[in-house]
Amino acid sequence: MIGETTAQERKRRSKKAEIVQPRPGLRLPKQVRRLQRRAPMYALQGLNELAVRLKQVTGHDVIDLNRVMGFVQFLYKQQELAQRGADYAVDDFGFDAQWTESFLSAFMVLYRDYWRVETTGVENVPAHGRALLVANHAGVLPWDGTMIKTAVFAEHSHPRHVRALVASMFLGMPVLSWFLRRTGQTVGHPDDTRRLLERDELVLVFPEGVRGTGKNFKDRYRLRRFGRGGFVSTAIRSRAPIIPVSVVGSEEIYPMMADLAPVAKFFGLPYFPITPFWPWLGPAGLIPLPSKWRIQFHPPVHVEEHPVEAADDQSLVMELADEIRDTIQEGIYDNLRMRRGVFL
Amino acid sequence: MTLAHRPNRVLITGVSNPLGAEVARRLAPEVPVLFGCDIADPVSALEEMDFVHADTRHTAISKLIRRLKIDTVVHLAVLVDSPHDSRAIHETDVIGSMNVLVGCAGPSSPVRRLIVKSSQAVYGASPTDPSFFSEEMAFADRPASSITADLIELEQLVGEFALRNQTCGVTVLRLGFRLSDDTTLARYLSLPIVPTFAGFDPRLQFLHEDDAAEAIVRATLGEHPGVFNVGGAGIVLLSQAIGVMGGRAAPVLLPYGRWLAQLELRALARLDVPGHLADVIAFGSVMDGSKLESEFGWKPRRSSKEVMEGLARGKEVEVVEMPSPPQEYELQVYLQRRRRGERNGARSLAAHE
Repeated sequence: MIGETTAQERKRRSKKAEIVQPRPGLRLPKQVRRLQRRAPMYALQGLNELAVRLKQVTGHDVIDLNRVMGFVQFLYKQQELAQRGADYAVDDFGFDAQWTESFLSAFMVLYRDYWRVETTGVENVPAHGRALLVANHAGVLPWDGTMIKTAVFAEHSHPRHVRALVASMFLGMPVLSWFLRRTGQTVGHPDDTRRLLERDELVLVFPEGVRGTGKNFKDRYRLRRFGRGGFVSTAIRSRAPIIPVSVVGSEEIYPMMADLAPVAKFFGLPYFPITPFWPWLGPAGLIPLPSKWRIQFHPPVHVEEHPVEAADDQSLVMELADEIRDTIQEGIYDNLRMRRGVFL
Repeated sequence: MTLAHRPNRVLITGVSNPLGAEVARRLAPEVPVLFGCDIADPVSALEEMDFVHADTRHTAISKLIRRLKIDTVVHLAVLVDSPHDSRAIHETDVIGSMNVLVGCAGPSSPVRRLIVKSSQAVYGASPTDPSFFSEEMAFADRPASSITADLIELEQLVGEFALRNQTCGVTVLRLGFRLSDDTTLARYLSLPIVPTFAGFDPRLQFLHEDDAAEAIVRATLGEHPGVFNVGGAGIVLLSQAIGVMGGRAAPVLLPYGRWLAQLELRALARLDVPGHLADVIAFGSVMDGSKLESEFGWKPRRSSKEVMEGLARGKEVEVVEMPSPPQEYELQVYLQRRRRGERNGARSLAAHE
């Protein structure tokens, strides 16, 4: 192919060198422009001195410079991502790993400082190969999914992305559909689960679905029905171990007092919650409460040791599903006991 | 089970559209006798092909198949992305295919192989769909658009035909969305300001025109009964596609009611987007091509991204055959007559020349 191009084509392909001309209009003096350029640096230096002073006066860290630097890095990364244009790699499910990782520091603030998540048993998550994470689902909005994803990526010795399965309803909603797909989520369809597991991914599933997130505050930490055990059959067919995950703290972020079903029906939502703050305070009611969270990853249940035909054995599947449900429920009770208080 | 069948007398329906012309060009050196039929004149003369003016919507096509002793039918007269109204499309896709199937059916029929063109549009597109369509996932309970409904009906007819006529090997090819020869999707992506659905960034999959023709030719020459997805590897996000094309996305379409979005597209971009494509640019549609790869031992050479970049370079518009002047058709008729004359014993005359 090389050398076959005609002169005309070469001319068409060539780009004219752009002559950069100063922008017309008022131009600030050189000193001011230099100051503009260096402003972020001066701000950081000033903040550093302030931090040192405050430490001398009060005796302990008031401003954590590591976090400040983390925030600066976050902004820098976002700027970099905005400049990469249209030519970036996504996998076949539409997952953009680079973009997702850029949000990690934002979620780390929630993880470390806001909900003070204590994670145990993260070593039960395999460093390589497929596994199906099964967790309890609670809290009107699925913040528990984001925290499990953050826990595995931040705490594991081999940071891995967890691919959660979401209800198809959310993929039909504007913004959410785009954000969920871009951060690695996909529709909760057995075929998608199989494909992800066959690619040796970590897949997170909430068998309770909206029955879990939409439950009343007085029913907190009582697991709902675990679907029809479909996740067990899929795991057996895909030869993947199941890792039960217990999450404590997600129930208290939005204490749901009542469900306005007619309003929910009008908007096409699964439920319309009434909490002490929503909808009375408007958008401020969407701010989750700072409860204390604990996440426990249980040892894997090796369902892949059963033969593939066992996936069609409904009694075995339901038995395994119940066993996993009991493990998660007991984990929840253990962690509730270990927690000193709801907000402590 | 049928013995290995070598296509001997092949009929291509819908030969005058660019895909049909390309298939005919590739098949011509491979098969002894090639017929093509369509309602419009072919865009170019192909010496090895006998062109017949025939409309699949009339029952004459079934007589034609028997009269010409066709043993392999390549049915490409299936409209998917067409400016015609839905009634005309239904007539061609369902009634036309039915007539072709009548010609192929029964023990008296000489047809041993049938290749039917279908489309990715048969799956429709909705948020409840899995990320990848495999072959058994068509036949939604309530098809969302008229084209999807037509294609489902067509495939059901073909499926019944395949069950009743075990001697005839039937291949259905669900071709992915193509971006050449002025398809609606290509025109949509080429807009300087592309109206998109607010808050949606669907996954798209494209198929190159060459790969589509190659798949049809391979299905004709090989023994591959069944239904196959034919789509380029990988995906392209709509935002990426618009970025590659150098346009700008304007998130102005509302995802509430498809007709509203279609109306907006008509008003803003002067573009008539059929229902199934409106769904695709909202929710995306990607097929799983692993069955094709394992059965054919071949997969489309160009990935979705390469097809996209090809369109952006403007190289995709590379026309296979230039639209010919009217005398081309006369020339073809002359060539046909000469060949028929040769067959009717005038060979000695030609030999003496």
